[in-house]
Amino acid sequence: MTSRDFLQQLQDSTLGVALSESIYMYPLVEGLHLISLVFSFGLILLIDLRLIGLFLPKAPVSEILNKLRPWLSGGFLVTFSTGFLLVFVNGPSLVNTWVFPLKLLLIVFAGLNAIWFEYKFGRHAKQWNGQTPKGAKVAGWVSLTTWSLVIVCGRLIPYMNGH
Amino acid sequence: MSTQPFFQALQNTQLAISIGQSNHLYGVLAQMFHIAGLILILAPLLVVNLRLLGAGLTNQPVTYLVKATNPLIWTGFVFISLSGFFMFSPSAALYYPNPAFWLKFQLLGLALILQFTLYRKVTRTETPNRSLATLTALASLLLWFGVAIAGRAIGYVAA
Repeated sequence: MTSRDFLQQLQDSTLGVALSESIYMYPLVEGLHLISLVFSFGLILLIDLRLIGLFLPKAPVSEILNKLRPWLSGGFLVTFSTGFLLVFVNGPSLVNTWVFPLKLLLIVFAGLNAIWFEYKFGRHAKQWNGQTPKGAKVAGWVSLTTWSLVIVCGRLIPYMNGH
Repeated sequence: MSTQPFFQALQNTQLAISIGQSNHLYGVLAQMFHIAGLILILAPLLVVNLRLLGAGLTNQPVTYLVKATNPLIWTGFVFISLSGFFMFSPSAALYYPNPAFWLKFQLLGLALILQFTLYRKVTRTETPNRSLATLTALASLLLWFGVAIAGRAIGYVAA
């Protein structure tokens, strides 16, 4: 089964049809996808800026990570689940161009970067003694760049795929 | 001059016409900057308002959070207003009958009033009146997110 067939099946599914037929569901889901970005991408961005040293330099990274994590995770939960629903609505046209596959690839990359950061640096952040390790700074830059590109690709989807 | 002719006049200015005739790539770029501005304004405001509500970065002084978030918010403001003007001016008359457009700017007006009155008052001290701080934070979040939601709705209620 090709990715096009798979996306067609999603679009033809009960959920896909219901989402497409409702007047209110699509704007609601898309609106939530955008608004939840403030919690997901927005808070990640602030953490990245802290790692780079451009935001709240006097606040310990461990504290920022711990205190923002629940809000950040909640945000990602909404962003991901609404994104998942949008795939049902948009169907095979999503693979008309490279932009959506690239977005998914970038999300995977950003996710791996986050896992690497957390495993290698984040969980020891209490022992940094005010000095951000070089690798953690690199992870911050990578995260900042990758997630920004994810947003750019996401915004390009309607232009590139003819919605 | 009432509002509708003003919108029409704006749309007919040389600047608006040139923007309208510019490469569509600039329009896409304006959309990107509008989202970047949205994030740069709302994420810092979220952090400060959560702090006022006793959540998030509770170990940091409110005044420090405000000082650190201000440059981000101002950058976002420049991004969002310039890109907004870029998108609005070439089709100003088209926005005129759109209720979501008006709702957005009414909410924005309220959000700005709150920002320069109560928000400024409760974030200037480490010991604001608890209930006033809570009320301000809730109103601020509601209004600013309301602006974003109404903004997104413009495209869906297009007349």
